[in-house]
Amino acid sequence: MTFINYVAREINCKIVYYGPGLGGKTTNLQYLYDITNSENKGKLVSLATETERTLFFDFLPIDLGQIRGLRTRFHLYTVPGQVFYDASRKLILRGVDGVVFVADSQEERLDANLESIANLEQNLKEHGFDIGKIPYVLQLNKRDLPNALPSEQLKKLLLVKGEPVFEAVATTGTGVVDTLKGVARQVLVELRKSA
Amino acid sequence: MNPSNIVLYEAEYLRLKSILVMTQRDLRADLVLLIDRSGHQIAAEGPAHGIDMTALSSLAAANIAATDGLARLVGEPEFSILYHQGKHRSIHISDVAKRFSLVVVFDESVALGMVRLRVKRATAYLEEILRSFLRKTEAVPTATKAAPGSAPPIYFTDEDIDKLFSSLKPGS
Repeated sequence: MTFINYVAREINCKIVYYGPGLGGKTTNLQYLYDITNSENKGKLVSLATETERTLFFDFLPIDLGQIRGLRTRFHLYTVPGQVFYDASRKLILRGVDGVVFVADSQEERLDANLESIANLEQNLKEHGFDIGKIPYVLQLNKRDLPNALPSEQLKKLLLVKGEPVFEAVATTGTGVVDTLKGVARQVLVELRKSA
Repeated sequence: MNPSNIVLYEAEYLRLKSILVMTQRDLRADLVLLIDRSGHQIAAEGPAHGIDMTALSSLAAANIAATDGLARLVGEPEFSILYHQGKHRSIHISDVAKRFSLVVVFDESVALGMVRLRVKRATAYLEEILRSFLRKTEAVPTATKAAPGSAPPIYFTDEDIDKLFSSLKPGS
């Protein structure tokens, strides 16, 4: 649910990073936090367990600059990837404008990726969203690992609708900004179309 | 316009703000904040220095969402009020028109009963304003929505979008 505030001259959008546990969703946000100018970012809020696994969500508000005099503020959220936190994942999708699916490229995580995409589709549906219509990009993370499956193979298995795909190594930042740009562009184009 | 999007123009903002100002003054609250259920801040009033309102809005919305989930688990349609009591500061969160929430941060000098009373009155006013403004948002095409003198409907090009992201400095 985009919030356009003509009084504060702001567009506020909500992006959710979704995907299986330990896939790198939080690392994406941490990298974005590290490289964003301090005046363009808020606090990185992490609701995590003692072992730094996401318990509820991470939250990072960032300001991407002005567009025709309107500040574009993106509220970035992650969900907990572990299967048993499904109730929490569902809550975070409330009012979402765009989704980044962070897939773990490792061969042994293929089933977890597929399960998580099916779970995303179902949870979006419960909020009245269609994965076929909502702004959505696929990030193939952990491309640097030796057991990473070939990108082409992953695309064949994980693509939902011909969405943009970004190869990434979130720990070094490779592909992280491009992924955000990809989804932010779709959200803004969608907003323009509907305005 | 996606009917679930919220577009706030000055006239509605001023009406909403006046209710928050009244509530904040009546209670001498640290902060009175109106948010939507996605965690976006709509309007705020109060001297609460040092509170990160963006983070507060996001956490309050998540708190409400989690509490809604808890309510459903025990067979309740909702828990319409959340109250967190601290040693010096407390937070009262209540539902407004099912799509928004009113967050009041107050210190130990303010009685909870008074907060509840003022919040109830403010909620009635806010609901009236928000319902009429949501009806307008949903019923009128955006192109005709802007009142004379207000901001035009949103318009931007692909180049405008390309110019964004200058605040991100990969590798720095």
